[in-house]
Amino acid sequence: MILRFAALAAGLLAVAAGALLVGGTELSPGAIGNALLHPNSGEVATIVWQLRLPRIAIGAFVGAALAIAGALLQGLLRNPLVDPYLTGVSAGAAVAIVLSISAGVAAAAVPALGFAAGLATAVTVAALARRGASLDATRLILAGVSLSSLFAAVIALVLTRVQGGGSAPAIVSWLAGTLSGRSWGDMFFAAPYALLGAILAFLSAPALNALRLGDVRAAAVGVDVGRAQWTILASSSLLAASAVTLSGTIGFVGLIVPHVARRMVGSDARYVLAASALLGAALTIVADALSRTLFAPAEIPIGVLLAFIGVPAFLYLYLRDRRTAAA
Amino acid sequence: MIAVRDLALRVGGKPLLASMSFEIGAGEFVGILGRNGAGKTTLLRALAGLHPAEGGSVALNSRGIAAFSPAERSRAIAFVTSDDVFADRLTVREVVAAGRYPHHRWWQWTPEPQDAQAIAGALEAVELQSFADREFATLSSGERQRVWIALAIAQEAPLLFLDEPTSHLDLRAAQHILALLRRQVKAGKSVVCVLHDPNEAAAYADRAMLLAGGGILAFEEKELVLTPALLEQAYGLKMESVATASGARRIFPSAS
Repeated sequence: MILRFAALAAGLLAVAAGALLVGGTELSPGAIGNALLHPNSGEVATIVWQLRLPRIAIGAFVGAALAIAGALLQGLLRNPLVDPYLTGVSAGAAVAIVLSISAGVAAAAVPALGFAAGLATAVTVAALARRGASLDATRLILAGVSLSSLFAAVIALVLTRVQGGGSAPAIVSWLAGTLSGRSWGDMFFAAPYALLGAILAFLSAPALNALRLGDVRAAAVGVDVGRAQWTILASSSLLAASAVTLSGTIGFVGLIVPHVARRMVGSDARYVLAASALLGAALTIVADALSRTLFAPAEIPIGVLLAFIGVPAFLYLYLRDRRTAAA
Repeated sequence: MIAVRDLALRVGGKPLLASMSFEIGAGEFVGILGRNGAGKTTLLRALAGLHPAEGGSVALNSRGIAAFSPAERSRAIAFVTSDDVFADRLTVREVVAAGRYPHHRWWQWTPEPQDAQAIAGALEAVELQSFADREFATLSSGERQRVWIALAIAQEAPLLFLDEPTSHLDLRAAQHILALLRRQVKAGKSVVCVLHDPNEAAAYADRAMLLAGGGILAFEEKELVLTPALLEQAYGLKMESVATASGARRIFPSAS
């Protein structure tokens, strides 16, 4: 197990190092190494420290957050087809961000509004899914799906109203998911919430392991089921909201990465969460590097690119599983 | 160990059982019988602290069960349900390991040496040592039931409550389960078990409880409870009892 995690960590570092080499300006590994050691040494150092590194770090951050959030919700709801946006976090954030962009709210305030609206939506969905002290999985899914489609309708309405106006491209780029134009400052805004979410996630891992056996068995072995459910839900909402405010709606990371992680490290939640974080970070860095090089100088939104990679990958995994199950 | 006073239970807002008082001691095997819907599962859950009492009290070693923290309660009482579950890719060992949850503090993330010992001992008790690394989803119903019991044994709780551990099992698997529960009693645990077959209760339990009409119809030594008269009253069926060649009595609904 240690070896597998060492390999995952090494893979992540290799991917991050590779991504440093990718960009509009061609830089040699030596120049990049020098710039990394001397942050204030001129133009190259500025490119490395102010453009490429933050982008890689934010990619890793967003990917890890979405993957952990996905692993948490899939475990909590005992449903492998759940993704971290199920609680309406992304739809809520999207509505707030779309409305504030189209209303011309100052750009600096937009992520904070999105974050707050994302969390507010998750809280609303959770309140609708409450049954006594615990959570009803079916109600949670129904509430999440219906609020999300309501918000999608609002967004469509706004988009038809602003068509041709100045804010449409910004809105579309945000909806498609992108890491472009984000800075260290954006990341430090989201980091504390995601960190809190990640700590709660890892503390919940033993309870999550017991919850996989059903709520009654979890209660019988001493899990405070209601409290564990709310903690896991809060944790995944914090992580997903932080990711969404940074990058817009990047799909598939939160859905697929936990599956790949389970194949690599088994189904113990402690390992699944850690492996999901490493894999999610690596996948997002790679996808972002591809999104800005495939059709350079044009950039494909990373959300679009991930859908193109993610759907076939998911179908492949699904079909292979079905074959092995049938064999 | 367990003392019940004037216990009343409700399910879904409707009163189900009332004015129940009894005690269950250490090293006892109690079988609970009754019709579907008589309240057997609800009573068992209430005894395990997993269903709130509407009135009266359940006390474990003279302390109200509601005053226990979840972990404290689970170190004292193990509750086995055979509800099915989506087990993903869990191995038998991972399932049984869940029984160690109440022995860890909430921040404790890694297992301790005594966890591995308890899990190995539990698998041995149900004779599934060689199944430890098998995927749970590939097991038969009888084997799954043994895994659920191993999970409970790994909890190292002195009280073992089981909800219909022999339902859906073939004759051999059912006898296997009951024999291993008997061994747990011999090792000093108390076993309280919902059963459907009075002959299973007659063969393995010490005392039998018959639930009917919203309360306890009888709770005595099994010979006094598992009689045609009382079973007829509980199930509304004509019963007859026959002696086998070995001298044991078997009880059946008579064909009408």
